[in-house]
Amino acid sequence: MSDDAADVQRVLAGDVDAYAALVDRYYDRCARFAVRMLGNRDDAEDALQATFLRAYRALNRYQERDRFSAWLYRILVNQCRSVAARRAHRERVFVREEAVLLNTPDRTPVWSGEDEEFVQRVLTELDPLLREAFLLKHIEELSYEEMSALTGVGVSALKMRVKRACDRLRERWERIKHD
Amino acid sequence: MTDSDQLHPYVEWIIREARRPVVSDAEARDRVMAAIHAEPVPRRIGVWQRIFAPRVFSLSPVTGALLAAGLVGIGVIAGVFTSNRDGRASVEQPPVAQVVRPAVSDTVVKFVISLPRAQQVSLVGDFNDWDVAKTPMARSAHGGLWTVTLPLSAGRHVYAFVVDGSSWIADPSAPFAPDDGFGHANSVKIVGRGSSL
Amino acid sequence: MRSRRFPATALVVRRAAALTLRAATFVVCAATTLRAQDTEPDRLARLDQNSRITIQILLDSAEAAGLPARALRSIALEGVSKKADSRAIVSAVRQEFTLLRTARATLGPVDPEELTAAAALLRAGAKPAQLASFRVRQKGRSDLQAFTIWADLITRGVPSEDASSAITKLWEDGADDATFVSLWNNVQSDILRGLNPGTALQNRIRETPGRPPATKGPPEGQQENERSE
Repeated sequence: MSDDAADVQRVLAGDVDAYAALVDRYYDRCARFAVRMLGNRDDAEDALQATFLRAYRALNRYQERDRFSAWLYRILVNQCRSVAARRAHRERVFVREEAVLLNTPDRTPVWSGEDEEFVQRVLTELDPLLREAFLLKHIEELSYEEMSALTGVGVSALKMRVKRACDRLRERWERIKHD
Repeated sequence: MTDSDQLHPYVEWIIREARRPVVSDAEARDRVMAAIHAEPVPRRIGVWQRIFAPRVFSLSPVTGALLAAGLVGIGVIAGVFTSNRDGRASVEQPPVAQVVRPAVSDTVVKFVISLPRAQQVSLVGDFNDWDVAKTPMARSAHGGLWTVTLPLSAGRHVYAFVVDGSSWIADPSAPFAPDDGFGHANSVKIVGRGSSL
Repeated sequence: MRSRRFPATALVVRRAAALTLRAATFVVCAATTLRAQDTEPDRLARLDQNSRITIQILLDSAEAAGLPARALRSIALEGVSKKADSRAIVSAVRQEFTLLRTARATLGPVDPEELTAAAALLRAGAKPAQLASFRVRQKGRSDLQAFTIWADLITRGVPSEDASSAITKLWEDGADDATFVSLWNNVQSDILRGLNPGTALQNRIRETPGRPPATKGPPEGQQENERSE
């Protein structure tokens, strides 16, 4: 039995604190997806909160043969969609204070804070469906089959979305190049 | 399309960056557990109950698409930038391939420099991407004057002359543009909108 | 483009078009301005990948902030042409970004040309506070020439405060482009003759009228900057 399954059993047996182990194990990884998907921390936190709550409530329907992470991610993806749908009317742009750019000394390595802002901006400009597929495939590194089970979308459609996302990113590069 | 398709290095870089861990707020995690403790404890359900329990994640493709349609706004909204301190929101221009022709509003400008001992002189500037090969100058028959004429759009242009392929010099007859960080000052030409020098 | 690959052709064309200057002009124009952007290789690709990406980020951030990314790209290309070290190129682009941003904060919503002129002025050594008077816009009045002359004076050694007060006073008195250019011409020749730059400016400022007398403007169209030395 995996650690995850064992912890689930403990929770179902009445040990609520065992759930904390699951939260500890998966929170940051889920946070990464939520932030990249939603573009800001506040929304991500809402989605994460809802995810772990729902997962908890549905724990008795988790079946050992499923990978816990895949099962959890299914909830996470749906919660992210819900949060996004609810917040769609609000302007949520991930723009960090650019003090980093102003204070950067000459010897700064390439991977500084401005890069994260840039990457997030680039991701946020992708169509949400493409972004979701791209993140699941390349950031969360799920297989297309897992992604299909998670999203309810067919494998070939998912492959097309991932490819399109990569095309968009490349186009953006070309566009800046030629000003 | 296969999984092993080569990714553009730029895309690979984005992936590497995006894979970096996101540090989460410890308080956020505490809030999760606090909410958990406020919940009724989930009980293991029997086999029969499991069979008849509704599937939790019955998000049909249609529903998913509708939800996602609500998401489209995010991508669009995110394209409007909020650095509006000066009251101006700038919008990205769509990519347009253009053939650059001298526009009606361009002014024809003649550049002249006296370099009697030079073998070869080029004009470089912000109007030709500083490309030494793009705008060679012509030597006059007598006197060592090098000239070239080209249309420039109205506004401010920064330029320099490249002598014999390697020496960059400013125009002695024009105001200096300060050193951009490459060790030499350039020259400035202001092209008026039909007026000024 | 073509003049690069077939220089002989360009020369032949020029000679053949000696009949009318206008014909020659348009041919040279076509050769130098047809940039065939889609087929020309990107010269920034010569940089190593890290530098290339950093510059891309800066270009992107500039666009996001409504600053002229073209100016940043121009600096990068200048560096490439000069065969500068890629670290120097990245540093120069980063500095220009900062200067543009400061210029925007100082001047408000002005067009890209004025921003780059102001950035150059700050680069030369002017202080943002000194540009405050130029925030107030008068319709149809451009500060490009004023900023250019100002930056040049500082670059030539005129003390920053002197240059600032002189230019600002002229501007506030309503001086036009011709006045600034004339001032610059005079100060420059004085400096070349050996006069101390600050003194040269003081002398010439005293004799420069603020509001110019009513004269007709310089002719439109072709410009020459011919000077024999």
